[in-house]
Amino acid sequence: MAREKKERVKEASITPKITRKELKRQRVLIVWSIIFVIYGVIFCYLPLGGWLMAFQKYKPKTGLLHSKFIGLDKFKFLFADATFFRVFRNTIAMGTINMITTLIMAVLFAILLNEIRTSITKKVVQTISYLPHFLSWIIVTGILHDALSSTGIVNELLVNWHVVDTYIPFFSIEKYFWGIVAFANNWKETGWNAIVYLAAITSIDPCLYEAAAIDGAGRGDKIWFITLPSIKPTIMILTLINIGNVINAGFEIQYLLGNPTIVDVSETIDIYVLRWGISQMDYSLGTAAGIFKSLVSIILILIGNSVAKVLGEERLF
Amino acid sequence: MKLKKITALLLGTVLTASMLTGCNEKTDVKPDAPADQQEVETQTGDEGGEEVAPAAEEKKEYAEDEITDFTCFIGMPGSEINDGNEIQEIIAKKTGVRVKETWLTGQTAEEAVGTMIAAGEYPDFINGGDASVSLYEADALVAWDDYIEQYPNIKEMYSDAEWDMFRQEDGKIYWANVFTNSYGENRETGHNDEAFWIQCRVLEWAGYPKVETLDDYFDVLENFYAENPTFEGNPVIPYTILCEDWRYFCLENAPEFLDGYPNDGSVIVDVDNMKIVDYNTTPTAKMYFGKLNEEYNKGMIDKEFATQTYDEYIAKLSTGCVLGMCDQNWDFNYTITDVFAQQGYDKLGCSYVPLGLTAEPGMEQQWHSYGDTLNNSSGIAVTTACEDPDLAFKFLSDCLDQEIHDLRYWGVEGVDYLVDDDGMYYRTEEMRKQATDDQWKANHVCTYSYFPQWLGTSKDGKNAMQPSQQTSEFFATLPEPIVKCFEAYGAENYPDMIHSKVCETGIWYPMYSYSNAMTTDTPGGVAWTKMGETKHKWLPKVVMGNDFEASWSEYMDAYNACKPEDFLAEMQEELERRAATAE
Repeated sequence: MAREKKERVKEASITPKITRKELKRQRVLIVWSIIFVIYGVIFCYLPLGGWLMAFQKYKPKTGLLHSKFIGLDKFKFLFADATFFRVFRNTIAMGTINMITTLIMAVLFAILLNEIRTSITKKVVQTISYLPHFLSWIIVTGILHDALSSTGIVNELLVNWHVVDTYIPFFSIEKYFWGIVAFANNWKETGWNAIVYLAAITSIDPCLYEAAAIDGAGRGDKIWFITLPSIKPTIMILTLINIGNVINAGFEIQYLLGNPTIVDVSETIDIYVLRWGISQMDYSLGTAAGIFKSLVSIILILIGNSVAKVLGEERLF
Repeated sequence: MKLKKITALLLGTVLTASMLTGCNEKTDVKPDAPADQQEVETQTGDEGGEEVAPAAEEKKEYAEDEITDFTCFIGMPGSEINDGNEIQEIIAKKTGVRVKETWLTGQTAEEAVGTMIAAGEYPDFINGGDASVSLYEADALVAWDDYIEQYPNIKEMYSDAEWDMFRQEDGKIYWANVFTNSYGENRETGHNDEAFWIQCRVLEWAGYPKVETLDDYFDVLENFYAENPTFEGNPVIPYTILCEDWRYFCLENAPEFLDGYPNDGSVIVDVDNMKIVDYNTTPTAKMYFGKLNEEYNKGMIDKEFATQTYDEYIAKLSTGCVLGMCDQNWDFNYTITDVFAQQGYDKLGCSYVPLGLTAEPGMEQQWHSYGDTLNNSSGIAVTTACEDPDLAFKFLSDCLDQEIHDLRYWGVEGVDYLVDDDGMYYRTEEMRKQATDDQWKANHVCTYSYFPQWLGTSKDGKNAMQPSQQTSEFFATLPEPIVKCFEAYGAENYPDMIHSKVCETGIWYPMYSYSNAMTTDTPGGVAWTKMGETKHKWLPKVVMGNDFEASWSEYMDAYNACKPEDFLAEMQEELERRAATAE
């Protein structure tokens, strides 16, 4: 009996051989994995066939199979288009700003929240702070639009406090746009993102804090020397995942808040794809831009992962 | 163990289901049968409740289960009517068809139609706006040719030559524009085109001066504004400009009119030597934007104009605080007239009158185009997704049936209008008031406004097809301050007020019907798209800039980089093609 148990433990510690018995034992797991593999194939891999469009003069009439192949023409158009580079820059810039600010805010917020001693206050604050996550962008942008309009609360306060003489047209000044987008992202997501970090903090062994307290560490020292290093792996992994998302800087918020006067800074790749791919019915060009976006995304993840490897930190693969 | 398995199973199922539903969601576009059927029944009891004589097929009443529900998408923003709308139900009983109209929301027509084409899912009827050609190219539309012959109502909409203008490359007709098409005698009393509009109280205050140029126009606005900085407690905005999406014509195309040319939309046609002229680069264009820049820096122009949406613009006009703007009548006045009537602002002289300004005083101009304008670039179409195209076309024909047409535009006799002893339709003050009420319109009125329709004179030879053109209605609904303004300028109606040159437009008119349908398949189309983008971006900047000369030359550089010559060359070709077909 005891021996059998021991063997089992041993078996579990190394990768089990694929035997019929093993397969039978894991059949539930296998069935469920297969379902997700099928899901992945159908929704992630099959659509890749549509990439063909990028190399065709695609027309809905002739379809994917009978459209004329034109090689790399669409990519040539893309890279010759000054707008595309501006759009690419905006995407990367807004993506990076969003990633860094939301990371800092979320960690900061999680730590602060963790320092609250009364659990009711803590829960109330946490609940309120993550509620905006459930609002759709159309609502958030609506609030922003009203708040920042000429008669909105922000301008009224600024004018009444004599900070400015006349109201500021926030949405027609280029330099404010990225800031507004970053602010909106943080307002919406900070509470939500903090949940993960808060969970990581809760799992820190309390002994560490007690030991530190005996050694004379203050509150700030405990945060700096225990909390932050303990959640570092979590931060690294989430950052790595997010690096791939930098290129997904957003669509809705820029689409809804942008306007022609500041299009130079507001347009992202996704909006570009919509405008050329859908509005101008140039599906091929839209696909080409989408492929380029995916490539950049993969490259970013690879770079992030190797950096993590060099630094000896947690990494994805 | 067992429990764990079950939980895992359950969790897994829920997870998979929740992941899949995201992609499976398909909203059923067919509307359900209206819930308040009974109410409608009682309302319409006296209208169509006569016994159905077996011989009189036209009088046949369709039962609820015989009524076919169609869907229709219109590439324009609009307001949906309520399910169970009373007149919609009456029309459904008489024609056997009920159409659920959906409108553009928060997108451009190209985006909405592009998405439909990409997904291959269409409504039964569609008005694709500028994206109509794309629908044709995607094989999404049903050809009209056989049905035009089958239904005289449809056939008589246009002459053979006019129908020919709708033909696509394959020689067939796929849609028909339903607007500005008059039956019988033309009854035009309104100016449904573009103009510089001004509240008539401003003109009254100034003693009805002669306003001929931009300078005159802004002088009047400035003087009035100096003495009347507020209206009903809100700050007055002397001039605003709408430049959202395709509606930026309010900002960009005034130069063609100021030079005295008609609304060819995208270009000027120089009739003397049949040449296409680009109005974006004329001296008048520079003068016009220079003037706007000057007025902007004087604080006369709405600081928020560049970022306002159409809804915000309409909301601003609705307060009665905006003294003037350049716009098409149809773009704002249907809404604003109703709002002013509800608020009583029309009595205070807030209603707008059009002015036909020119670059130099005393020039002739064509802000108003007399007669019908045929825009062949878009219209109502039946899609291949429609399961019963025969019925769809029958409905299009029924829409033009006088009885149905009266229901759509005049309403129900006794409720919406009365008939006097001479057979003339008229409305009481109360009926007029209720006709401007949004709630009433959603529950009761159903104009199917993007379906085939007539202007001009009714088939009874007396009344107007639509109330707005009924002479008695026109004068009865005209607010007192407007009447006084007309008198002061010796005008009888809006076209008199704008006083355009009366002339026939050329066979090529309007050229925008070609540029609207351009795609990025041709260099000209690419140039046209890029020019639009550049103008969208630069024109507000030019108006808001501190140094006009510098920003203008920067704009011109950006504009010329779009290769406008490619676009102009294709327009020239089309002009020559159209001119040749006339001979």
